[in-house]
Amino acid sequence: MENCRTGVYICMCGTNIAKVIDVEAVREFVSGLPDVMLVRTYKYMCSNPGQEMIVQDIRENNLNRIVVAACSPCMHERTFRSALRKAGINQYLFEMANIREQCSWVHHDQQDATEKAMALTQAAIRRVALHEPLENLSVDMSPATLVIGGGIAGMTAALELAEAGYPVYLVEKTGRLGGNLARVDLTAPYLYSAQDLINERIFRINDNNHIYLHLNSKVTELSGFVGNYTATIETIPVENGHKKEEVKVGNVIVCTGYKEFDASRITHYGYGKLPNVVTSFELETMIRSGKIETREGRIPRYIAIIHCVGSRSLEFHGYCSRVCCMTALKYAHEVKSAIPSCYVSDIYVDMHAFGKGHEDFYRRSSEAKTLFLMYNKNDRPVIRRADEKDDCQMLIEVNECLSGETIEIPADLIVLMVGMEAREDASEVAHLVNISQDKEGWFIESHPKLEPVATTTDGIFIAGTCVAPKDIPDTVAQARATAARILAKVSQGKIEVDALYSEINKEICSGCRLCNKLCPFSAIEFNEKEAYSEVISALCKACGVCVAACPSSAIKGRHFTDAQVMAQLDGLLSPVKYQIEAVTS
Amino acid sequence: MAIRINLGYIDELNKYGAEDVQLCYQCGDCSTVCVHSDDIFNFPRKSMRRLQMGLERKIETTLEPWLCYYCGQCSDQCPREADPGETMMSLRRWLIARYDFTGIASRFFRSSATEVIAILAVALITGLFLFIYGKAGGSISIYDGEGAFLPSSFIHFFDLAIGSVLAVFLLINAYRMWHLTMNKGVSVRISPWLYLKHIFTFPLHFFTQKRYAQCESKNRNFIFMPWITHLGLMLGYVTMLVLVMVFIEELQHGPEIIWQVHLFAYAASLGLIIGTIYFIRSRLRKTAYVQFKKSHSTDWVFVILLFLIVITGIGQHILHRTGYYEAANITYILHLMCVVPWLLRMPFSKWAHLLYRPLAMYFAAIQKDALKKQLRLSEDHMITVK
Repeated sequence: MENCRTGVYICMCGTNIAKVIDVEAVREFVSGLPDVMLVRTYKYMCSNPGQEMIVQDIRENNLNRIVVAACSPCMHERTFRSALRKAGINQYLFEMANIREQCSWVHHDQQDATEKAMALTQAAIRRVALHEPLENLSVDMSPATLVIGGGIAGMTAALELAEAGYPVYLVEKTGRLGGNLARVDLTAPYLYSAQDLINERIFRINDNNHIYLHLNSKVTELSGFVGNYTATIETIPVENGHKKEEVKVGNVIVCTGYKEFDASRITHYGYGKLPNVVTSFELETMIRSGKIETREGRIPRYIAIIHCVGSRSLEFHGYCSRVCCMTALKYAHEVKSAIPSCYVSDIYVDMHAFGKGHEDFYRRSSEAKTLFLMYNKNDRPVIRRADEKDDCQMLIEVNECLSGETIEIPADLIVLMVGMEAREDASEVAHLVNISQDKEGWFIESHPKLEPVATTTDGIFIAGTCVAPKDIPDTVAQARATAARILAKVSQGKIEVDALYSEINKEICSGCRLCNKLCPFSAIEFNEKEAYSEVISALCKACGVCVAACPSSAIKGRHFTDAQVMAQLDGLLSPVKYQIEAVTS
Repeated sequence: MAIRINLGYIDELNKYGAEDVQLCYQCGDCSTVCVHSDDIFNFPRKSMRRLQMGLERKIETTLEPWLCYYCGQCSDQCPREADPGETMMSLRRWLIARYDFTGIASRFFRSSATEVIAILAVALITGLFLFIYGKAGGSISIYDGEGAFLPSSFIHFFDLAIGSVLAVFLLINAYRMWHLTMNKGVSVRISPWLYLKHIFTFPLHFFTQKRYAQCESKNRNFIFMPWITHLGLMLGYVTMLVLVMVFIEELQHGPEIIWQVHLFAYAASLGLIIGTIYFIRSRLRKTAYVQFKKSHSTDWVFVILLFLIVITGIGQHILHRTGYYEAANITYILHLMCVVPWLLRMPFSKWAHLLYRPLAMYFAAIQKDALKKQLRLSEDHMITVK
């Protein structure tokens, strides 16, 4: 084995690490270990001077192994690997010891914490000695993209990619494009016509010969990996036959949208029983047809709008559906302009006017004398039929929070602002493309702040209201973000994949195929001719399941070899001792 | 028991001057900044809300609008420009109409044309009557004494007659105010002793308007601070009213000047002329204080009519003393043509607050006392229950 010359760097992370761990004691301890050429402590290793120090030391002292004892590798492994590359040595000859998240942040006792930091660093030093230089893989990236869902998100993303010259397969379950937005009349707060927003996109989609539109279709199968997916698109069976097509795509965008909350689940709103209690979408239909009237065909004198139907209650959904407040204000405007003599009561929990132009829109609704009445989300309004002598059809009893009074609101038409829900087939889609859902059924992004449209599966992106409730601008922004992410990759033609994957020694492999079934990424195939299993390295995520399962020990996890793991354990379990120095005054 | 809200009420109050109340989103800044708002009488926030929701029963039984002197700090502070000060003012107008059993006040507030026509009609009838009466019994060239055109004894009788009509209306309306606020508006029993205990609150607030002075703590202009001008105008007016009702014969007598009476009359006239000019100027320029930024039609009728009264009053006095008896008599008729509609208008206009406001202070003191006692009792009760 080559002669190991290891450099060890202990980061103080400002005071994040140094306030609990005696870094100088760790330095002293480490400098006595075999193979260690050089040990340094530094305030911020991740800073430019910190990285520069590593590069300098490698060059000057011929170091060939580097250990950084600092934060989690999720945070800065990439940073330090690039320092190694810069210094001209293989980036895999590096190991991080996590003495922040796994040590200084979770311990208070200086002695224990310092001893643990010593052990973690020692483990990294023993492990890095056995590291091998590895090269990343480069695989082809198919330029085509599969877009699932033809709402505003899907259409936007498809156009963005197609107009850049790349093929797009746009798959929509129903017979028309536009999704839920196509059911809406005007949009808040600028009162643009939703129809105009959609139609313009539909024209462009129909005109664009890079977009292969599949209406009344579903994606029934997806296999492969980033850059090289194979999708099966099937038409939903109707009388005029059934078609099935297989397409090759590099990336997938999921924008399957939402469905509205079923208002009849809140029984005391009487939806479905009282004829003039309607949902927001039913009011949209009325507005689009140009007639706001009761079921009996009368022009309502009083319209009441109830917010948060299905949203913001532990009984149904705890989250805020984000668009209903502004939509309710939009109704107030539309009603007032259609029937100027009509009184609008807006019964809300909190007015969420968070977006651009929203607060102004809220103010204009006040100016138009919309009466805003606040109820407590745990104390819902109760609707009952009015008596003969009343000048209205129904009465809504509310404990109004701002006045502290129990009041009765007259209403001829009651609009329930139904919230957004994950679609019932969302889990089917999640399973199909191998992404996860949260407890409400929304798809989970790989990082809620920094990776809002990526998922934990490479090449699968999510956008719009299948991720969480959001309004049109946010949805469009996300759709365009997915397109930008994909364009950045397809324009390169190739994609680099981590060098971490399993390797099967075909001489030892008995061909039992146990690993074939266990692999969660379907990355192991059986070679029938020569009767052994082989790993598709681009698909392998280096989870190690096959390595552990192989009865013949024929599988090796690169960068996670048995020897490396055992050396790390040895280092971790070798005794360390730290004595806090008595304070001399 | 749930209260029906009245969504049309806000439109009704718009006619009384509440133009921006719909903008209020109940942040409560107005109540925080108001020196008069406390635990028991919490305004203007609550009043704004009741108005928005049209809780008429709650509004007609509350004293709160009367406890506000319209210093305008709330309107200055309001982040939504909902103008709580003007809203309280409009509620006072509505309450005046509500206390008024004839329904005249409500017509005047809602239609400036009705008010102007009524004033002109009363003025013409008065003028015609006095002219015919003067012609019949005297000569237009004699101002005072034997054969006078408008003898002071007759004017005295005439004033008292008008004053009695005024008093009847005012007293009936004041009774209605008491019934609404003290009978219907309070949940606790109020012992007669409390009425006696707080009796001095009424004259105290009537003559000093000391709560208005509390509003002024943050005002910069001492001379023209609203409290002084408001008090000056009111004292001038009341002095004049007493002189006209009781000492008219001495006042009208000439040519020598009876200083015991005239000194008061001159002082009152000076106060009134300065006050009305200041108010007209402020309302025209809309700059001095918040309360002058918006003027209801009745506000204009109020200041203009008062200004005319003072000018014609002073005019006839000067003309009399300088020997132009004919001109003096004609000016006197003009003066009375302004005075009579002015006095008759009083119970149906903003000027009625001369009575309602100190009365409200008196009632509020009684209510507070009664409520405090009840609160103390219930606290004791809670302690024993524990």
